[in-house]
Amino acid sequence: MSLNPYIKPKKGNTSFVMLDVIIALLPLVIAGYFAYGMQAMWLLLIASGCALATDVIFSALLLKQYRSALDGSAIVTALLLCFTLSPITPWYMVAFGAVAAILFGKITWGGLGKNRFNPALIGREFMAVFFPVVMTSAGIWATKDYIQTPATNLFPGLSNEYLSSYLSGLVYKTNGAMGEYSIALIALGGFYLLLRKRISWHIPLALLAVFFGSFWFIENGQNYSYSIAGVLLGTLFMATDMPSSPTNNYGKLYYGSMIGLVAFIFIIGKVSYEYMSYAILLLNGFSYKISEVFRPKVWGEKLDYKKRVEHIFYLTLSILGCTLAILSLHYYDMVSYLIYIYIAYIVLKFNFSFIKNITNPI
Amino acid sequence: MMAIPSLKKETKTQEIKRLPDPPYVLLSLLGYQEPLKPVIASGAHVQKYQLIAQSETHWSIKLHAPISGIANVVEYNGQRYLKITNDFKNDSIVCTPPKVASLNNQDILKVIRDAGIVGSGGAGFPTHIKYDVSDRPITHFIINGAECEPYLSADYALMNQAENHLWKTVQVIQKLLQADQVVLAIEKQHRELKKKMEHQIAQLNINIKIQLLGNDYPQGSELQLIKAVAGKIIPKGSITAHHGVVVSNIGTIAAIANALYLGIPYTERIVTISGEKARTKGNFLLKIGTPISYLLKQMGQDWLPSDHQIILGGPMMGSPIAHSEESISKGTGGVLLLKHLYQKTFNCIQCGYCADVCPQKLMPMEFARHAANDNIDGLQHFNLKSCIECGACAYVCPSDVPLISSILTGKQLIKTK
Repeated sequence: MSLNPYIKPKKGNTSFVMLDVIIALLPLVIAGYFAYGMQAMWLLLIASGCALATDVIFSALLLKQYRSALDGSAIVTALLLCFTLSPITPWYMVAFGAVAAILFGKITWGGLGKNRFNPALIGREFMAVFFPVVMTSAGIWATKDYIQTPATNLFPGLSNEYLSSYLSGLVYKTNGAMGEYSIALIALGGFYLLLRKRISWHIPLALLAVFFGSFWFIENGQNYSYSIAGVLLGTLFMATDMPSSPTNNYGKLYYGSMIGLVAFIFIIGKVSYEYMSYAILLLNGFSYKISEVFRPKVWGEKLDYKKRVEHIFYLTLSILGCTLAILSLHYYDMVSYLIYIYIAYIVLKFNFSFIKNITNPI
Repeated sequence: MMAIPSLKKETKTQEIKRLPDPPYVLLSLLGYQEPLKPVIASGAHVQKYQLIAQSETHWSIKLHAPISGIANVVEYNGQRYLKITNDFKNDSIVCTPPKVASLNNQDILKVIRDAGIVGSGGAGFPTHIKYDVSDRPITHFIINGAECEPYLSADYALMNQAENHLWKTVQVIQKLLQADQVVLAIEKQHRELKKKMEHQIAQLNINIKIQLLGNDYPQGSELQLIKAVAGKIIPKGSITAHHGVVVSNIGTIAAIANALYLGIPYTERIVTISGEKARTKGNFLLKIGTPISYLLKQMGQDWLPSDHQIILGGPMMGSPIAHSEESISKGTGGVLLLKHLYQKTFNCIQCGYCADVCPQKLMPMEFARHAANDNIDGLQHFNLKSCIECGACAYVCPSDVPLISSILTGKQLIKTK
């Protein structure tokens, strides 16, 4: 017998959620095409194709799920992965990243929604670890020769030259990773997701406020360099990723502000490229705990504030401890070992739950 | 709380219609948490409005014959019913309404009890026990006119065509409870009712405040209603009168009005017939016990279980019928013919929509997780007992995670621990 409710909203299922994210990312694809033409498009296509193929094959092989791969989440992962990469990244590396993102970021966790970490960022870290020379070389960002449409002054009517070039930079520029060419379009996509209620304002607001607030707070804050477009992209599309972020509003506020703080610590700790992905991945690991610590006050029940403050204190302490640990590993060039440990862990975990038939039930 | 399409447009302004009496009625012998015991012999002839069954515990719920005829105890799907075959003689016992003005509190409670009145919202709590507040101070007597379930418009129709007796009854109950304030709460989408009723109430010189509430689901849920009207947050499971609040459905008031001013026991109620697969839609005054098979016949429709399902109550919290011999009960506000949902289940994507809409501020996805693992501690840790089963989480879930079934299994697990 069926259970209540007997009505459902139309066009609200998970495929539509993914479709909305893809729609929000499309303007950035177009900006990428403007900037680097087919060079960028090929990478997006290769990543999407590899991600989809990996999802279909390994969902069927490992999870015995045959249609779930077509929910659109593989495309989202592929697009987000590409958006963190240089447009002249060799294609085989992008393909490797996409396969790793889906296989080790999603399938081995048990499929869509069960992953603790953002798959796109997992893919990126796999690339950084297995192709360290290319990923950290300066050459990979020397993209001048490939530019299709150079950035120009889009506001020639403005007499103030500084202002017009600043505004032009917000709308269109050609340096940085593939998703970073237009801050305006990133914001537009984020705004669309907000309107469609696919993300809530809590994470972006808290993250940006803490991140920029911290630089404003310290002396010489303006001397540190970071990519605003990259931070915004990470904030709106990666930190808000549903499976890897907390599920309640206070939790989201805390999670957002901790990503902002940790990213800030990484930047002043001289992590030059990976600050945002490290920060998001680190907090991803805590997001279930955050959901639990910050769970809403149940109707009519009393909240034990003393206990909650204590929990928050220890949670913050562990997050900051992990931040320092990662920072130290980064100094000694040992972050790659974290990825090796991750691979060992996820393979063992998958086999364990496969043999014992324990699946993450929801 | 969440916005949800109201779907009442087609039925809400329709007048309340009567149907010819059914050839037989089926009265469920299930009272509030206990079975009712027939007080007549099987096969006996009963008169209309005659007492035919009652409970033997302190709930003392009574059941009356809505039609005259031969009564028999029958069984469908393991549940016992009293079936009265109509002799169409309309042979009624003489109903003499009490002299309301001269009744004291105990008399009023007795009238309510003897008329077999239970809450018309669906839970079926006996009203005479709810109103027996002794000397507890009652700050708010709230009349629930917020029919937040989509499709249902029975309460709207009732308020739209309210007679003076209804408001006089409210006054009687206010005196009984010694309530400081009487508030009739309706949804904003029905604001046109407010003026109409205020005018009527002012003419009778009765003091009832009509308050407009949001259109959210589940606004009509008792605890959320109390918060919206009286500003009190009462935990689930506690008796509201202990917090100075008594809530009654407008349909219950109408049943009491019939008992006080016409002397008629609770034997008929207004029911909305609607749904996308219903050929005839509207609000009908039906005898309690009217079988669904008869209703369908009157509507010129057959039940095709492969094509649609029939829901008793609202689409959010109602229950589907298993066979067409189920019938209207005292708590049935609607009969809906809805097409089957095509559920496309995905994994939970941790979107948190369910936690956002939960009126009780719970985290429903955790119930799914812990119910699947038989983890009773986990279920209790996330306060499963506070769940009111409103279905908002399952409605909003983009992955169609079986939340309600997890909640029900979870509650069962806790109970049998």
